[in-house]
Amino acid sequence: MGAAGSKLEKALGDQFPEGERYFGLENFGNTCYCNSVLQALYFCVPFREQLLEYYSSNKSFADAEENLLTCLADLFTQITSQKKKTGVIAPKRFVQRLKKQNEIFRSYMHQDAHEFLNYLLNELVDILEKESRAAKSDPESCSSSEQIPNGIKTSHINGHVREPLITWVHKNFQGILTNETRCLRCETVTARDETFLDLSLDIEQNTSITSCLKNFSSTETLNAEDKFFCDKCCSLQEAQKRMKIKKPPQILVIHLKRFKYIEQLGRYKKLSYRVVFPLELKLSNTVEDTDAEYSLFAVVVHVGSGPNHGHYVSLVKSHNHWLFFDDENVEMIDESAVQTFFGSAQEYSSNTDHGYILFYERVDVGTTS
Amino acid sequence: MISASNPNSMMSSSSTTGNNNAAGSGQQAPGLKTYFKTPEGRYKLKYEKSHPAGLLHYAHGKSVTQVTLAHLKDKPVHALSSSSSSIGISSGVKSAAAKFLGGGNGSRALSFVGGNGGSKSSSGTTKVGSLSSSYTNSYTPNSNFDGKGTYLIFNVGDAIFISDLNSQDKDPIKSINFSTSNPISHAFDPDAKDGHDLLIGLNSGDVYSVSLRQQLQDGGKKLVGAQHYNKDGCVNNTRCTSIAWVPNGDGTFIVAHADGNMYNKDGSGDPSFPVIKDQNQFSVSHARYSKNPIARWHICQGSINSIAFSSDGAYIAIVGRDGYLRVFDFKTEQLICGGKSYYGALLCCTWSTDGKYILTGGEDDLVQVWSMEERKIVAWGEGHSSWVSGVAFDSYWSAPNSDGTSENVVYRFGSVGQDTQVLLWDLEMEELVVPMRRAPGGSPTMSTGSQSAHWDHAWPPGTLRPAPSMRDVPKLSPLVVHRVHTDPLSGLIFTQESVLTVCREGHIKIWARPTSSTEPNSDSSLSATTLKEKPKLGYRQ
Repeated sequence: MGAAGSKLEKALGDQFPEGERYFGLENFGNTCYCNSVLQALYFCVPFREQLLEYYSSNKSFADAEENLLTCLADLFTQITSQKKKTGVIAPKRFVQRLKKQNEIFRSYMHQDAHEFLNYLLNELVDILEKESRAAKSDPESCSSSEQIPNGIKTSHINGHVREPLITWVHKNFQGILTNETRCLRCETVTARDETFLDLSLDIEQNTSITSCLKNFSSTETLNAEDKFFCDKCCSLQEAQKRMKIKKPPQILVIHLKRFKYIEQLGRYKKLSYRVVFPLELKLSNTVEDTDAEYSLFAVVVHVGSGPNHGHYVSLVKSHNHWLFFDDENVEMIDESAVQTFFGSAQEYSSNTDHGYILFYERVDVGTTS
Repeated sequence: MISASNPNSMMSSSSTTGNNNAAGSGQQAPGLKTYFKTPEGRYKLKYEKSHPAGLLHYAHGKSVTQVTLAHLKDKPVHALSSSSSSIGISSGVKSAAAKFLGGGNGSRALSFVGGNGGSKSSSGTTKVGSLSSSYTNSYTPNSNFDGKGTYLIFNVGDAIFISDLNSQDKDPIKSINFSTSNPISHAFDPDAKDGHDLLIGLNSGDVYSVSLRQQLQDGGKKLVGAQHYNKDGCVNNTRCTSIAWVPNGDGTFIVAHADGNMYNKDGSGDPSFPVIKDQNQFSVSHARYSKNPIARWHICQGSINSIAFSSDGAYIAIVGRDGYLRVFDFKTEQLICGGKSYYGALLCCTWSTDGKYILTGGEDDLVQVWSMEERKIVAWGEGHSSWVSGVAFDSYWSAPNSDGTSENVVYRFGSVGQDTQVLLWDLEMEELVVPMRRAPGGSPTMSTGSQSAHWDHAWPPGTLRPAPSMRDVPKLSPLVVHRVHTDPLSGLIFTQESVLTVCREGHIKIWARPTSSTEPNSDSSLSATTLKEKPKLGYRQ
């Protein structure tokens, strides 16, 4: 491990970013699903910074109770405060806490990285909301959640009755989808908003993320068995439905639905489809006036041919270098190597390393206008 | 299951007859049709070209196949006595060179000979890069390698393959193996003066110039008589992403590299260039003492993905990783205009024969039409469901009803993508005047914002435009959407008789243009035939 570390340091040379640490994470038996996601989150700089900031400003009373948030913050602190620039860390407390808290992750079976990410983010949100509610009387403690972007729900925030709190986790990951349904009889459009922390996209062979996003928000007709109950017509009617992105998130997490239940087989199958993802992306199907522009900074990769076994690794962009994290091992890779994780154009291929969760960070608006 | 079907493929023909007509149809994947319909008739799969399976060495990793079309003219008169040797320049080429140079020392000194050495103007054809150097229909179905003919040069793995375009044989007639690195890019100039008409650029950055005829005459599997440039990457050791002959350039050529540098090469020898200070800044450095390469152009940060000369050679279009199209005046080395893709890298570019439009394709799944007159993007072609990897104008096509009395305002072009599809498009400039061609309600267009007015504003010359907003650019819809392969495509070429498509894995399909005999209802095809009779076309038979 020391050799690998020094190799990375040698590769980066004097380009080693000031104050940055690149540490591999030890595997405790099939915990690669966890390690790969943790690396992606660690190199999600706004998330890391806000977590560490929150942790340091709340340390006094966070000592009392251990939870996933404190364990994650501990782990990140441990990495950032390392004297060495590279090496290996054992995320022991975090993994123990995770297993203690959720029996799904307790076994030594192969786990789904997306399920873990989803669980973790929701858990963090819950903890923050709980703490905020408990400390409601003390206005200083929720300092990190006072600025609400774009003014949504601003009018309600002081009422704090049923409106969910917008925590810094929300501010990073939450976007709002609007589900527009147009009754084909009365033409009334019903819009229903829903929040999301990531987008799960259906995939097809030899397509791009752009195309999958387009399909995601394409118009769908509700008819036959699947009619829509129109409030105005007071009956089931044929309708057209489409999803639009009302508020694009700061960090756009895209989950490729590579594990698909095949009814004929009675089990899940891994789709190894080649789905290309660009290093830059724009969401054009937004309600907002400007196209939201994003830049790719992390990819969680599933390695293996089936859903129940395999391995997870991650690709991370840090200070304009791409790095490859495989549990304990950290390597520098060329940007062009990202292309080797798109998937395979043929069903049976020796290449089984496929991009599974993509992390895009919003680029400052203002370059186009 | 091979693939979920794309909704667009409904536009392609649905019948499955004619499967047996295609050579090599045994390998047809289910769901792949052997023809596609256009308003002017059916394009039918004529034959396929490939490489011998299983013989490939992927020692240096896989690489994407590109195709160059090469028309070899009559042999030089004095070149008959060639006994090809494996080292050095063969006597055939030497004598050809000597003819022009008056007994110079091979091709080395050639680059500084004045501009009137060759008989360049003899061929009236355009030379847009390496693509459209196809000539009239005087083909000889070749049985030996000495004859003139039209050849396909394509790279797969560590090899270059050469196929005879007009033979039914699926297998190539020649393969050349590179032991050190994979060949990536190639270009051909039928009028190359010293007989070194074929350029090959490698992954290691090395570049060779050879005589195509000499390769065909040689029985071995190695490159023969090659001039070696940038040996072992001594000038630039990054991947040679694109290579092009300078039109009427007296043997000069351009090599684009993966680090954003471009070299203008001439004879041989390798000078050093100053270190680039600002990676984002365009700069040109000239070699002292006219050594080789004679100039380095630093274009952009990140890879250059494709370069293309306008047919008159006055301009060069360059696209790359940073998503910008840049158009330079080649002589003055000045940036003329350019702009950013919607998002992501641009992967390919090409010029219309009249030099008015540039097509680009890239990672935003769009085909961009750039107008040289307006110096901006005038249309976005929406229809690919993955990255656009190849674009080409069909310079042999002319619009129905265009009898030559009015200006031809319709351009036909094609694009291929990693979605395994070829798309054909018609560009009618009059149709594009309307800002939003799309049906209202098709997309969220609540515009009339100030941004579009701002974007439309005249841009100062010599500067790059930012990415336009989605609603600011008129959209084009494809005329034809056809799934060609099971693998992502990497390029397409229009010839007089056909459209060639190639996939990344090195399989080429040749689609014959519609003729009266292949019309769906061939008995009463009189109207269809007259429709296609244009003065400049003239199909075979």
